[in-house]
Amino acid sequence: MATVTIVDPVTRIEGHLKVEVIIDTVGGSLKVTDAKTTGTQFRGFEKILVGRDPKDAVYLTERICGVCPVSHGMAGSLALEKASGLTAPANARILRNLVLGANFLQSHILHFYLLAALDYVDAPAGAPWSPSWNIDLMRSSSLQQISNNFANAITMRRKAHEMGAIFGGRLPAPPAFLAGGFTTKPTSAMISSFTSYLYELKQFIDNDYVPDVQLLKSIYPDYAQIGKGPGNLMAYGVFDLVDSGSSKLFKRGLVYNTAPTSVQTLSTANIKEMVTYSWYANSTNNLNPAGGSTVTVDPATKAAAYSWLKAPRYSGKPMEMGPLARMWVNGDYRAGVSVMDRHMARALEAQKVVNAMLDWINQVAVGGAVYSSFTIPNSKAGEGLTEAPRGGLGHWLSTSSSSVKAPAGGPAIANYQIITPTCWNASPKDTNGVKGPMEQALIGTPITNAAQPIEVLRVIHSFDPCLSCAVHVMRLGGKPVVIARAGAR
Amino acid sequence: MKVSRRDFLKYCTASAAALGLTSALGPLSKALAAGGGPPIIWLSAASCTGCTFSLANRISGSAPVDLGDLLINTINLAYHPNLMGASGSLAVDALRTADNGSFILAVEGGIPTIYNGKTCILWSENGVDVTAMAAVNELAAKAAKIICIGTCSSYGGISAAAPNPTAVKGVKALTGKTTINIPGCPPHPDWIVWTIAQLLAGVTPTLDSSGRPTALYGSTVHSKCPRQNTAWATSPTQTGQCLINLGCKGRNTRADCPTRKWNNGVNWCVGADALCQGCTNSTFPDKFAPLFSTMGALPSGHDSVSTPKTTCTACHGQNVD
Repeated sequence: MATVTIVDPVTRIEGHLKVEVIIDTVGGSLKVTDAKTTGTQFRGFEKILVGRDPKDAVYLTERICGVCPVSHGMAGSLALEKASGLTAPANARILRNLVLGANFLQSHILHFYLLAALDYVDAPAGAPWSPSWNIDLMRSSSLQQISNNFANAITMRRKAHEMGAIFGGRLPAPPAFLAGGFTTKPTSAMISSFTSYLYELKQFIDNDYVPDVQLLKSIYPDYAQIGKGPGNLMAYGVFDLVDSGSSKLFKRGLVYNTAPTSVQTLSTANIKEMVTYSWYANSTNNLNPAGGSTVTVDPATKAAAYSWLKAPRYSGKPMEMGPLARMWVNGDYRAGVSVMDRHMARALEAQKVVNAMLDWINQVAVGGAVYSSFTIPNSKAGEGLTEAPRGGLGHWLSTSSSSVKAPAGGPAIANYQIITPTCWNASPKDTNGVKGPMEQALIGTPITNAAQPIEVLRVIHSFDPCLSCAVHVMRLGGKPVVIARAGAR
Repeated sequence: MKVSRRDFLKYCTASAAALGLTSALGPLSKALAAGGGPPIIWLSAASCTGCTFSLANRISGSAPVDLGDLLINTINLAYHPNLMGASGSLAVDALRTADNGSFILAVEGGIPTIYNGKTCILWSENGVDVTAMAAVNELAAKAAKIICIGTCSSYGGISAAAPNPTAVKGVKALTGKTTINIPGCPPHPDWIVWTIAQLLAGVTPTLDSSGRPTALYGSTVHSKCPRQNTAWATSPTQTGQCLINLGCKGRNTRADCPTRKWNNGVNWCVGADALCQGCTNSTFPDKFAPLFSTMGALPSGHDSVSTPKTTCTACHGQNVD
């Protein structure tokens, strides 16, 4: 007898995403046999940016995401600098790294304790955390140590934002990023305050965050086998250690099928965005983002499509982005690809970043230049590649020969394309019918109770998707049981 | 110190000068929550979640001291997609329980109306995808009060920037209902907390013509700016100077950022030698774009920088100081 179960919305993620899984009995137990991820939000930043002053792209794209605005500020700055043939001063590079690092720390702490941990441990009493699903939680009373850190995590996340705002001006949406460099002129008081915050965060990461993830991994060892996906891992790399960007804390590169020793060179020319299963015009299929186009269609007119996300592919392959991909490509973590490996790599990455920041803060030069003036050229293109906490982020900009309106003047944006990490991870099928990384990771996941498929949440949350997410669960054959609210309204 | 409800109301209705937002707030709001203060339903429409994570930066010397205190002890946040434990039916049930009685609706993000709202779907119910447009229309009609968190839900904001690809509207433009707007991209956490506290105390804040509490948005950024009588910077390489020539919109923007500052007071936009972008304006970001230009920077009739502020009526007139 067929049962269709719909669970919607899935919560504790940022933005809007829907995941639909089919659950069937395989070898006597329930498993996810098919999965579809649907981005259910489109805002059209790429269209908004065309014709504007290229300098404004930094401030506007920071508003794409309230959790990773710093990464958009970084990508937007780098894209325009590339197009203008400019390298920002060393001090700006270091200050940007410090603000971006602060945001990595706040995002990773937020993700583990406030978004992901509640799939495993008891939530605090009362709204908004209770009621919640109660399946397979608290396998061991030792997990109470994670619950006990919930309030600490709220504090430490806030402090990471405060640390970033010392140089960034404020968070979210830091105003200090701009093409050409950075606005804040660092003082020794700022450096000293930043350093105090760093030590406090380091203590929390070393003594709580990393041990808490290690504990969770030991209590839920089955999740070191669940949620692998295609195993293709890609990183643009981030935290430039030299002004040219040729050396980074996290290298640029990619591996196919978790190959540990063959990290390959990444060329963005191999990136194509496919839209066969997305609500965009088929005439825009298979374009490289440098020449990309965003033309929406009414969902009612494209029945095969199921997402507002395009399907980016590298040499035709779906690629997973994120802390695990960065750590793998860099050689820092190659234990495996799974739900728990993603959490572990994220925590260890936080540790690596906080330690690196303790070096960088000593490199900030009081009185050193933070900005280089420049002229925006006509008809030039630039790409800004960086990393958000949840994976690689790319901005592709080209300038036109037509001018921005007065009083700014100068060339306007001719085209702007953005590929976010969650667009890679939560992408729908491509033109060849190959599913996206999150879809592949969901398939095969064992399910205890199809009415409360917490296992699906665990897989989704391990990617730290920057989208609100709804899960639609379907069981093959039979009449629907609607778990979503089916009241009189 | 125990604070009675009457003390709190007195505090809430005190003059703008007293709006430090810190003292006396906690005990009463806790009592209200314990006594069944109205639940808050927080919808996330076409948003970036930045308003929520700005709220998470709340820190104060008195209650609610931070996000944890706010959520655990102060308010009954019945529905919030990014923070709540429940998913699926349990989540929508929580919303439906709350909307069965008196509730406060908080909306983050603009409301897309293209393709019948299908560029932003919030949940499914009875097998139907519920769009942000449908949800806001339905809940706004029933809500006791509506708070628009951020510039997008207040006026459209970034998501409605030209050419407004998804035909985004603010809540008031969509529903015709009166809203209390807390613009800012993002808004300061204290602005959100103060406004919620007013409503929990049964006080409707006085609003300006843009629907903003005058207590929070009564002064221009420029009027409180510590740089208002400094020389005008000509390059981002300079520090500590007035940024009007680089595009600062502080003369045309109402907010208390210069005195309140951000992130536990560590800094603010102009403090970082970065321009005020005018993010609390109903016309943000288009009217004053290009942002890095003097577009909108100088109100007509504004005197030169050397004019003492008390004699320049452009921003130091009846509205401020």
